[in-house]
Amino acid sequence: MITTISTVLLMAANSLTIANFETLHRELQPSGEKVWRTIPWEADLLKAQAKAAKEKKPIFIWAMDGHPLGCT
Amino acid sequence: MLDRASTFSDPGVVSLLQNHFIPVAIDQAYQRRQQDAEGQFYQKIANQGPRKVGDGGPTTQGLYTATPDGSFLGYNNNRKINDLLEQLRNAQKQYRPGEVAAIESGEPDSRYVYGPPEGGLVVRVHSKILDGYEKPKSERQRMFQEGVGRDNFWIRADEHQALAQGKILESLAARMARFHLVDNTRGEPPMWKPHEVRSHDLFLDGNTLRGTVHLRTDSGDREFRAELLGFVEAESGKVKRFDVVAKGLFRGEGKYTRGAPQGNFPIAMAFSLADGSDMADPIPPQGSRGWLDGYIE
Repeated sequence: MITTISTVLLMAANSLTIANFETLHRELQPSGEKVWRTIPWEADLLKAQAKAAKEKKPIFIWAMDGHPLGCT
Repeated sequence: MLDRASTFSDPGVVSLLQNHFIPVAIDQAYQRRQQDAEGQFYQKIANQGPRKVGDGGPTTQGLYTATPDGSFLGYNNNRKINDLLEQLRNAQKQYRPGEVAAIESGEPDSRYVYGPPEGGLVVRVHSKILDGYEKPKSERQRMFQEGVGRDNFWIRADEHQALAQGKILESLAARMARFHLVDNTRGEPPMWKPHEVRSHDLFLDGNTLRGTVHLRTDSGDREFRAELLGFVEAESGKVKRFDVVAKGLFRGEGKYTRGAPQGNFPIAMAFSLADGSDMADPIPPQGSRGWLDGYIE
C-alpha cells in the first residue's frame, strides 16, 4: 500500500503538462552524442561495398546484436 | 550506447573513419542469416574472422575491417580506443587498392529485409532516464547513465488515415505500448507481452493526444506507469506532426539492459515524425526484429 501511495504521489509530482511538454520533448533529443554522428555511417552493407569499391577504401563494419544506430 | 559516446567519439577514430574507411553499421542478426547478396558478402567476411557463421556461436558481432571485395583485414570485439586505432591502422597498412566491381543486390531475402508500411508513417522514438542513478564514479559510468535510446515506430496506412481523421486505432495504441514504452537506454530491451499491457487509454482531443498506459510483467519485476501528452496535426489527409511525450515511473531491467536505477525511476520517451534526414531513420523497429508480422499486426 505504501509503495502504491508513493508511486501515485511521485506520478502526480512529475505530471506532464502542456507547459513542460515542449521542454521535455526537446531535451530528449540526442544532442549529447553528436560526435559519433559526424562519422558517415551507412546502414546498408551493399551500399557501403559499392562506395568502397568506387572510392577504393577499406570497409569498417560495426556489427552488433541489435542495430548500432538504434538501441545498442 | 556507450560505444557512441566513448570509442566513436575519439578524435583519432573519428578522423580515420571519416577519411580513410567506408563505415557501415548493421544488426548482424540479419546479415548472418540472410540468403541474398548482402548476407553472402557479410558471411564471407565474418567467416574469415574468429566468429564464423554456422559454427554454433550465438553471434558474429564485433568490429570488422575488410577490402571492398570481402577480403578480411581484421576483427576486434574490444571497444578500447587504442585497440580500435591499432586495428584501423593495421587495416590501412594491409590494404592495396584495386579495381573492384559493386556487388549486384539481386533479390533480397524478404524474411530479413523489409521497409516501413506503404502509406504509413515512421516515427522516431528517443528515450532517456531522467533521474534515479547513483552519482557516477567515473566518466564511463556517467556516459552509461546519460545514454539515449533510439528506435523507430512504424504506423500502418490504415492507422495513418485514422490519425489524420482524429482517431487512434487500437492496433496503433497497443504497438506503441508494447514495443515503444520500453527502457532501451542501456541496450536491447525486453518488449512487453500482449497481456502485460494491463491498461491503456489513448485518445485525441482535437489535435491534442492524451492518455495513460500501465505495463507490468506477471512477476512484477518490470512495471511502467506512463502518462502521454502530445500533438498530432494533419493536412489534406496526411499527418504532418506527431510530437508526443510519454513519461512515468519505470521499475526493473532486462537480460541485456542490466544496471537500471534501483526501485522506481522516472523515464521519458519522445516521439516525432521521421523525415529521412537522420541516419537511423531507415532502421526497422527493434520489436520487428525477425518478426515483422507480429510487430505490425
